[in-house]
Amino acid sequence: MDLIISLVINGLATGMLIFLLAAGLTLIFGLMDVLNFAHGGLFVWGAYTGIFSYAYTGSFIVGIVVAILTGLVFGFIMEKLIITPVYGNHVQQILITLGFMLVLQEMIKVFFGPNVVAVKVPEYLAGSWQVGDIIIIKYRIFIIIFGFIVFGLFHYILTRTKVGLIVRAGVMNKDMVQALGINIKRIFLFVFMTGAALAAVAGVLMAPYSGSIYAELGMEYAILAFIVVVIGGMGSFQGSLFAAILVGLAGSFMAYYVPYLSLAVNMILMAVVLIFRPQGLFQAAKG
Amino acid sequence: MMENLLKLDNVNTHIGQYHILQGVHFEAKVGEVSVLLGRNGAGKTTTLKTIIGLTPATGGSVTFLNQDITKKPTYDIANLGIGYVPEDQGIFAQLSVEENIKVAMKKESEESKEKLEYVLNLFPDLKKFWKKAGGNLSGGQKQMLAMARAFVNDSKLLLIDEPSKGLAPIVIEKVMEAIVEMKKRTTILLVEQNFFMASKIGDSFTLIDDGKTVHQGAMKELIDNDEMKHKYLGIG
Amino acid sequence: MNKPILLSRSNLILFIIFLALIAFPFVMDSRTLTILLTQILIFGILAMSYDILLGYTGIVSFGHAMFFGIGAYCTAIMLNDFESTIGVFLGSIVVGMIIAGILSFLVGLLTLRLKSHFFAMLTMAISGLLLVVAEKWRDVTKGNDGFTFKAPDVFKDRIVFYLVVLALLVIVFITLKRFVNSPLGRVLIAVRENEQRTKSLGFKTLYYKVIASIVAGVIASLAGSLYAVSLRFVNTSVLTMEITLDALLMTIIGGVGTLIGPLIGSVVIESAQHYLSGLARDFPIFERWIIFFGIIYILAVIFFPKGIAGTLQSKYYQWKAKKVQTTNVVPLSKNKESSE
Ligand SMILES: Nc1ncnc2c1ncn2[C@@H]1O[C@H](COP(=O)(O)OP(=O)(O)OP(=O)(O)O)[C@@H](O)[C@H]1O
Ligand SMILES: [Mg+2]
Repeated sequence: MDLIISLVINGLATGMLIFLLAAGLTLIFGLMDVLNFAHGGLFVWGAYTGIFSYAYTGSFIVGIVVAILTGLVFGFIMEKLIITPVYGNHVQQILITLGFMLVLQEMIKVFFGPNVVAVKVPEYLAGSWQVGDIIIIKYRIFIIIFGFIVFGLFHYILTRTKVGLIVRAGVMNKDMVQALGINIKRIFLFVFMTGAALAAVAGVLMAPYSGSIYAELGMEYAILAFIVVVIGGMGSFQGSLFAAILVGLAGSFMAYYVPYLSLAVNMILMAVVLIFRPQGLFQAAKG
Repeated sequence: MMENLLKLDNVNTHIGQYHILQGVHFEAKVGEVSVLLGRNGAGKTTTLKTIIGLTPATGGSVTFLNQDITKKPTYDIANLGIGYVPEDQGIFAQLSVEENIKVAMKKESEESKEKLEYVLNLFPDLKKFWKKAGGNLSGGQKQMLAMARAFVNDSKLLLIDEPSKGLAPIVIEKVMEAIVEMKKRTTILLVEQNFFMASKIGDSFTLIDDGKTVHQGAMKELIDNDEMKHKYLGIG
Repeated sequence: MNKPILLSRSNLILFIIFLALIAFPFVMDSRTLTILLTQILIFGILAMSYDILLGYTGIVSFGHAMFFGIGAYCTAIMLNDFESTIGVFLGSIVVGMIIAGILSFLVGLLTLRLKSHFFAMLTMAISGLLLVVAEKWRDVTKGNDGFTFKAPDVFKDRIVFYLVVLALLVIVFITLKRFVNSPLGRVLIAVRENEQRTKSLGFKTLYYKVIASIVAGVIASLAGSLYAVSLRFVNTSVLTMEITLDALLMTIIGGVGTLIGPLIGSVVIESAQHYLSGLARDFPIFERWIIFFGIIYILAVIFFPKGIAGTLQSKYYQWKAKKVQTTNVVPLSKNKESSE
């Protein structure tokens, strides 16, 4: 029982990180029809800028804020420079975002050095609670709560605000949204920047969790996020939460019981979903 | 003479490498119902899409309220006061009736509230299914929702693409009544295959064939001209 | 196209280059250069195979490394477990090609009906899966540590191996050239230009796309076999995304849909890698030489979708006053994907 609980907590925490990454990916895909292969680059840039400013100022909060700013700035630049020129052409999009991923990853090594950077959990989030026989690591709980707050916030924005309404409408029918007098390009930019910021936040939160960061982390987590987006249904925000938790839990249980299968399981899951139900388990755009 | 609200002059439109419109011209006069006629594939839908800027013209000009809107983006054109009811109605399937209309309403002003009130009286069904998902409405209700949505969006001109398509005669009747009613408050450009309906509510007509305007005139002329009806519409 | 093939000017140029390449190791007695050239030729073969997918059929695969890796492992394992003779070497190439062919057939059948996004992602995942399997299956692959093996004795002389690779490259080049100019190749180009239209003309596009992916997979496996022998060593890095990325960069920078382009791309990237990493001792920024290519690649996708070869070729055709229409140099044009 104790074991199960700690595996569940572990899986939930990983799932939340993947969710933060996948949420932006899925919205960008649903709304803009762009599959951003550079999303993991934003993740790893969030991790590095956040962790370096955390190290510099000693405040993890500052680190998170810097990561968000990095995400917004990179998101802005990327949408304008990389995405807009190839809008509507899938092949070029795939090629160019993957190329940008490569550049982002290498730039990390230029600016922050090629070595693995060790990261400590901030003091007030370090340590664990002991409940009966169960040891609960505080930082994991922090990630889980953070994830649910973000989910709640975005769920509110998507379902209760005008801009959220427009985003949901845009996922269903872009042309019609424009024909109703809304400048969809501005909405695109907004969503892209938000998605980038979420990815960057996921990066900075992941760093103390895994204890170390390196440039290639982006690609590793991005693959998990792709899997989540596919399983959850492209464009479905709720679906991505569900699928992220599924993938997180599957990963944590598999890593314990059948370690050599842990990565494979998720990929097989995705392959099966893609082949038999390419629209994902959830229908897109429920909000 | 009445003022031209909308004027198309030698409009050409390409979609990909296809040259679809090859010289469409006509005017829509304030307060009238103008009808675009032509057989399947003639280019009627494309003409509407070109006006609203979804498939922008590659040649010629579109003028609305004395402004050149040929190269303007769709949302600008819509904000100038053109409402669009597409052939497939373009309902946001997973949004409720209320949300579908909310997307269109720019501001919660007295005027738009009044317009909403007006249009809901015109289509009481919408009020009845206010919280229902758009995708679950019947074909006729979808048509009404699409028309209401275009109307509340401050429209001086409504582009309506084949509103009678796939509807039962009794529902067509209702839609026709609504258009006649809306005509009191806005100008309407209608694409319609149902000649009975077109002839009943249209003031003027434009015949399009193979992407070109082949005839334009008052609806009365067409009603009396069996040869033209036969040649281009296959009736009479 | 109807001119006697041997007489055309570009074939003459190619022939001269071929002769120069044969003469090269005898003129320049440099072991390093011979090894570099061998590497260029091997990756040239890989990049040409990728061009069949990307350039001629218009599909982006992120899993091309799996076929390269299969060839590499087949050859390494067979040379290690049996005798290291030419016979085993050739046999291992054939076995690798057969396995790669079967795998690409199966993967293609499962995935090629998906839209481009999903296809790219799924190929990435399948190839990632194969990498995981290879890392866990240590009895056979020795995982990331890899293993060394003995190459056939004749290849002790680097020049002999170089010439063998050169000969294979020429054979592959001519075969692929014929393939893309055959009626079947024309259909592939039609698929790239507009899949929907090709379908509506009555072609079973899935069938043609699967054929393209089998051809590409088989040739990639050959490149992998040669790569393993050139290093006399193999580890799981032959299955990584990096290999696919190399092929992608070479094809895009060199020029898609030309076959010559990927070869040029291989020359550019491999020599840059060689010389720029050399410079890195003095200027650390060159350690990250891949950034420059990443940026060139992005610019190429936006501004020069034809790459080096395609751009030169169309300039040449323009200069020839439109006498010959470019049939096999068509860029990844902006509005091509009307099929989706
Ligand atoms: N996206 C597109 N790509 C290629 N051709 C198109 C496209 N859209 C429309 N067409 C072609 O343009 C022509 C005109 O189409 P359009 O939809 O405007 O006709 P229509 O008059 O509205 O016909 P209908 O009465 O059937 O609705 C048709 O021949 C059609 O095949
Ligand atoms: Mg139509």
